[in-house]
Amino acid sequence: METEATVSEFQNLLSARGVSRRSFVKLCGAVAAAAGLSGLTGPHVERALADTVIGAKSGNLYPVIWIEGASCTGCTESFAQVETPDAASIVLEMISLNYSETLSAAAGHSMEEAKAQTIEAGNYILIYEGAVLKGWEGQALRVADAPGTEHLEEAARNANAVVALGSCAVNGGWMSATPNSAGALGVQQYLEEVGIDVPVVNIPGCPANPEWLVSVLVDVVLMKLTPAELDLNSQGKPAGIFDQTVHDNCERRGHFENGEFVYEFGSKEEALGYCLYPLGCRGPQTKSNCGVTLWNNRRSWCVQAGAPCIGCCEANPANINDNWVEMNTPFYKRHRDFRIGDWAIRPDTIALGLTGLVAGALVIHGFGMKMTGRMDGGADFEEIRAWDAKHPDKSIGKYDPEVVAAARKGKGGTAANEEEGR
Amino acid sequence: MAHLAHYREAHPLVFVVTHWINLVCMILLILSGIIIHYPVIPGIMGLCRGLHIFCGIVLFANCLARVIMAFFVKTAPTGGTRKQVPDYKTWLPQADNRHQGIQWVKYYLFLKKDHPLGAKLGVPQKISYLLIPILIVLMFYTGLALWAPTMNFGIFAAGTTLVGGLMNMRIIHYFLMFVFIIFMFIHVYLANVEGFAPTALMFIRKEHGGLVYDPDRHVIVGEDDLGHKE
Repeated sequence: METEATVSEFQNLLSARGVSRRSFVKLCGAVAAAAGLSGLTGPHVERALADTVIGAKSGNLYPVIWIEGASCTGCTESFAQVETPDAASIVLEMISLNYSETLSAAAGHSMEEAKAQTIEAGNYILIYEGAVLKGWEGQALRVADAPGTEHLEEAARNANAVVALGSCAVNGGWMSATPNSAGALGVQQYLEEVGIDVPVVNIPGCPANPEWLVSVLVDVVLMKLTPAELDLNSQGKPAGIFDQTVHDNCERRGHFENGEFVYEFGSKEEALGYCLYPLGCRGPQTKSNCGVTLWNNRRSWCVQAGAPCIGCCEANPANINDNWVEMNTPFYKRHRDFRIGDWAIRPDTIALGLTGLVAGALVIHGFGMKMTGRMDGGADFEEIRAWDAKHPDKSIGKYDPEVVAAARKGKGGTAANEEEGR
Repeated sequence: MAHLAHYREAHPLVFVVTHWINLVCMILLILSGIIIHYPVIPGIMGLCRGLHIFCGIVLFANCLARVIMAFFVKTAPTGGTRKQVPDYKTWLPQADNRHQGIQWVKYYLFLKKDHPLGAKLGVPQKISYLLIPILIVLMFYTGLALWAPTMNFGIFAAGTTLVGGLMNMRIIHYFLMFVFIIFMFIHVYLANVEGFAPTALMFIRKEHGGLVYDPDRHVIVGEDDLGHKE
């Protein structure tokens, strides 16, 4: 539109941050005066500041680009509930959050411009929230007139490291569960496919716990660790967080060991705070330290709130099928379902059905044994093996001549036995 | 008399002991495993977990010991003889088994009326017994992949990744338990359906008379009723 052409990119950024053009010019003049410069140098100060705020190549704040792929924004919401340091301190004092669809006040072209400048300057961290959608040639997700995959590639290529935040970003999360019509997958797998070699730190969870993100940021921003120096496990997840199960640190673990369980919601056992294992709790097989970190300003967590763990941190970055929804539904059963298309069957049904079938077959077989008189010592032995009778020259057994002769006459010991008496 | 004589040489004492250990461990593992899968009896979870892990380790060690001893201990290659050969030979296909696989299946399906001649172990029996040590090792492996203190060891974590996660590993462990249960059903049924003499020999070393088999000629050569006429 006409008015857009008269407004500079930088002015957009200023207004996005609640700074008017007038107050910014006043600030520049004050800076010039404080430095003992002529008032005429104000515009030079203004240009210098405009060039360095976004696209700065060095500074105390670590530049961060936070892109949302196919996300519900839950991980951002979760981040807003971080306890220490609080979200404002992180954004204002630890990092320079140069791009975030949700947290940035600005929007539209100016934000894309800020992102482009940050990418060009390099030396930043990319936080990617949500799944990567490859479906319909990447058109399953379009942002700023380009496929979502294009945004990821652009931003990842120059990044020092990518943080795949949330189970969706790690391996597609619930979006990669059957039928996965949008072709969802995780950041690490996608970047490997397109040949972008950048360290990926995987932080699963639905949503990801903000304290986990902060711990990575602290390592990188404050401790000055390079991505290679981070203590990650074989799945690229911070080992200190994701190498123990929820069960290991669960506050109800004592009840588990005591054999005190909740079998149904609303029961007396539930009121007593017993272990939720029979209600399908995925704690024993889900790796994260939820019970230590806690959620929502470190106030509570799922199990404390009375809900069994549903395993939202189950996410193998190399395998979209090992996503937490595919692996854990139905959540309140001890096992997952097996699914072929829309058809689902319980593993328990297969196992018990097969065992029942065999047991039934043996009972029927037993009747057969009884009817053929084999239960009292079994049937009589064949006098000569059927194969030996047919191949006397290659016979395994060395039979008495009369046995062989009888076999030749009666086409084998079998016939001889049958005649003898049963 | 239709069965071969049951001599102690078929099952030396040490193998009677390993068989007892197998039986006790498998039953305790199955029962405690059911409770661990779903605590149908509350209150004994801690006991069951301890027992399960203990018996799993004992079963695995017993399996290793049994397989190693197969190379050093001699047993009878067939029923009805006191002659002995290194035990491992009775696990592998023997001349006595040759061409008898289909005959055994036909016999079990009532398509053959007389009892096939064979070695100590019939062909289907031999195949299933060879699979049992593999099954025990698989069970041990999947169990350790699920057990918190060992699940992060590279060898177990790699397997968990391979099968698609801990839930799948759990289901494999669960299915394998049913393979054990099905094996035990068939094993107990076939060992006893024609009489309890094989069980008496295996558990309390009680001999029983029957036909005498010559493992060199691979044929039945006589009878030894051990003094108790039938």
